[in-house]
Amino acid sequence: MAFINTWRQSGQFRFGVIVLSLLILMGVFHQLLIRLHIGDTDPRQIGAFGILESPSWAHPFGTDPYGRDWLAMNLLGLPSSLLVAGIAGLISTVIGAVVGFVSGYKGGKTDASLRTMTDMLLVIPTLPLILTLGAYARGLSVLELALVLAAFSWPFAARVIRSQVLSLRERPYVELSKISDLKDRQIIFQDILPNMMPYLGIGLATSSVGAAFALVGLTIIGLAPSGVLDLGTLLSLALEWGALSLQQWTLFFAPMTLLILLFLGAAFISQGLEQVYNPRLRGQQ
Amino acid sequence: MTDAKTTPPSTNATPILELRDATTVFGHGADATVANDRVSLVIPESPPSLVSIVGESGSGKTTAARTLLGLQQPTGGQALWRGQDIYKLDGKGRTAFRRDVQAVFQDPYGIFNPFYKVDRVFDIIMKRFGIGSGKADRRELIEEALRAVSLRPHDVLGRYPHQLSGGERQRVMLARAWMIKPRVIIADEAISMLDVAVRAIVMNILLDFREQLGISTIFITHDLSAAHYLGGDMLVMRRGKVVERGEVDQILQRPTHAYTRLLLESIPSPDPDSRWATSADDLARLEQDAGVAAT
Amino acid sequence: MATHTPTEATGSGVIPVSDPARREPVLTIEDLDVHFPANDGSVARVVDRLRLTVNRNEIIGIAGESGSGKTTLVEAILGISRFPNRRLNGRVLFETRTRGQVDLATISARQMRRLRLEEIAYIPQGSMNSLNPVLRVGDQIADGMIDHGVPAGQARGRVPELLERVGLEARVARLFPHELSGGMKQRVIIAIAIAMSPSLIVADEPTTALDVNVQRRILETLARLRDEMQVAIMLVSHDMAVHAQLVDRVGIMYAGQIVETGEVREAVKRPMHPYTAGLMQAIPSIDRPRARMEGIRGATPSPRNWPEGCRFHDRCPRAMPVCRTIPPLLAEPVAGRREGVTGPVDVIAGRQVACHLYPESTPPEARSDGSGRPAATTEAAR
Repeated sequence: MAFINTWRQSGQFRFGVIVLSLLILMGVFHQLLIRLHIGDTDPRQIGAFGILESPSWAHPFGTDPYGRDWLAMNLLGLPSSLLVAGIAGLISTVIGAVVGFVSGYKGGKTDASLRTMTDMLLVIPTLPLILTLGAYARGLSVLELALVLAAFSWPFAARVIRSQVLSLRERPYVELSKISDLKDRQIIFQDILPNMMPYLGIGLATSSVGAAFALVGLTIIGLAPSGVLDLGTLLSLALEWGALSLQQWTLFFAPMTLLILLFLGAAFISQGLEQVYNPRLRGQQ
Repeated sequence: MTDAKTTPPSTNATPILELRDATTVFGHGADATVANDRVSLVIPESPPSLVSIVGESGSGKTTAARTLLGLQQPTGGQALWRGQDIYKLDGKGRTAFRRDVQAVFQDPYGIFNPFYKVDRVFDIIMKRFGIGSGKADRRELIEEALRAVSLRPHDVLGRYPHQLSGGERQRVMLARAWMIKPRVIIADEAISMLDVAVRAIVMNILLDFREQLGISTIFITHDLSAAHYLGGDMLVMRRGKVVERGEVDQILQRPTHAYTRLLLESIPSPDPDSRWATSADDLARLEQDAGVAAT
Repeated sequence: MATHTPTEATGSGVIPVSDPARREPVLTIEDLDVHFPANDGSVARVVDRLRLTVNRNEIIGIAGESGSGKTTLVEAILGISRFPNRRLNGRVLFETRTRGQVDLATISARQMRRLRLEEIAYIPQGSMNSLNPVLRVGDQIADGMIDHGVPAGQARGRVPELLERVGLEARVARLFPHELSGGMKQRVIIAIAIAMSPSLIVADEPTTALDVNVQRRILETLARLRDEMQVAIMLVSHDMAVHAQLVDRVGIMYAGQIVETGEVREAVKRPMHPYTAGLMQAIPSIDRPRARMEGIRGATPSPRNWPEGCRFHDRCPRAMPVCRTIPPLLAEPVAGRREGVTGPVDVIAGRQVACHLYPESTPPEARSDGSGRPAATTEAAR
């Protein structure tokens, strides 16, 4: 219901959902797409095609210095990026939501101790920590990596959600539910949670993109798990080869565009949600 | 302080609702605000009474209402329902208390969860209070309740709250109360956000409830003239304290507290022939007596 | 009631009424439309064919319920547009001090900015909470003047006098907004508004959030400013009692239009429009004996879908067939009609009403016979 509502009201949301759906479809069917594109050739096979070919119908993004089709490589890297973004985003939102809800609704000592915990995690300088972790644990899988990234991004979600719960808790309709003899549990699930959905959506979009970009950052400085091929790996390869000075700008352009689309999709979804559900912005549509 | 009609006629009948020196302090130490300072109020078992609590913003009238509704535990004194402490009720007692004491709130917009259709308001209370049996019977009851507040069921049911006007929403709240048939309705500024044209309609419904169903009303308002229209008894509150109590008519004719007099002098009359008549000097003296800053 | 001494003539209470003879128009609104087209093709006609005159040295009250369009009207006068898709039609003629008459509906944003404060001051709803919390009150009053070209020293020098004008001590200039009560903050806002001696002050619900005793003081201050500064004040309020106590003339708004105007005493005591009558009947008053009031049935219609004909007809106890089809015009009714006296025909000075009960409101082409009177309204003359 909330989805259809937002879809109808916000062009930004529509745009974001379409872009993100296309990316996800590309990610899910990447093998099929690769086969359609280069047939049964292994996309990773070195020397399958000419070296550093310029964009053409056969190779829309050209080929890399090892003679691999760059479009196929990108299709291969996309799922890992999406997976890290999705998993890390989901986990951090779920943890953030649970902590935020308990903290906001219960209040008192529970709130105080949970808040201290989240605040402590918030002030830990995340980047150096992830760098250290990355340097010591180079054999991480995509899933493990997502978990590590989630562990550091949930406090942001928890904070936002807590403050929302705090304000929703004071709404007159919650008072009405109380004098209608509803239990706390019912009030949380029936009155507060549905109204939180857009905020959870915003949190999910933000932390997903955050995770995807964190991974790009790690790969570019060479600290990503070695076995993982994601868009960041492709980007760092393009940098390493000096793609721009070789005039092979598509090598750089392709992964960059996919990342930008991922970012735009998520950003537009969260902006659309805010536009529709943030009462302060509502008047400005 | 006169405690004319607000005490029960017979002492051995336990009142339905009572505040006994209820005191509520928010915050601690230097930041502490005394929202309610030894507020007492009695709603007897019978006859159905009508008490207006009149005060400006910050007078503590809403805190008193919330205390009576079981939403704000007092820090001192007691809030009693049929002789039992409202804040020490067990699950069953709490449900029975909620059936007895209901409310109509100020904000007819915020009172509905925007996520649900208007019908949910009725579904919840029928489920929680075991009203009606079977779908058809429940539907019948809802329609009856809506008709009791002069709403046409098909104008309201199946709609989202934002599709109704403020007056309609407040009447849905009254229909909800009608369905529960409590002994007491606490109306907390229930007309202040409504258009003038529909305020009378809401007040009339409360008067009808008392007459026809024997429901007592505690009417919280900042508007002396609304209290006058309803009649019955009145408490004037200021800075958490009850400064005057008695019958509305008596207070309006012979206010004893300077603050009540100041309110009476300041209230604008819709009759331009009785424009404010007190001179600035008299008013200033009154403000001083009442302890009100002269701005 | 001991608290209110009835007075025989208007103007002998504490708040006097301004002298009608000394009034000349400062603002004339002619057939103003403020429309908001929506994405789905519908148009919200929030203000529609509205006509109104505001005179110098008078307080005109604009009364209306939520959804009547009163705030939108104010924003159109002040050139404020919260929504980019607003469509303005009609004329809002303002008499400037130096450049003659200008049409506020068409002037540039830059011209409007100059006029604001210098000639037209605006006190928006809730503005007392928009004082800058980190600036001293005196500086905030001076800032407005400095923005409009007054030398800084001179601007600061005027602050004490302005504060005194609105009933505050000069020392208040050194205080911060959080040190002031609600009433004092509202006075500071008024001081800012009058700093450049405007000829029109538009105040939207200036006392709504205040305690009644403070409300009274603020309203008295406004009346005093009208007399001392010869300023026109347009006071927008939903509260008819406030209008009855303060204003000289009142305009009743319903569904985006002025449906009745006149001297407040006349309009309130002898309302001609059934909506005004219903409104007055629905206001509880401690001066009146307790009697059942009925209110007005139904709800304000939506600006996307005003009713055909008279917009009040489906709530009106006196609706006639003509009301369902023909929109009534705001016109001056004839005296004899209202008093029930036949004889020389006299228009009632300053009184205008848009209701088919008064034949002058029915467009001539719609009147059913040659006499200029719709057949259906003969009984309506009481």
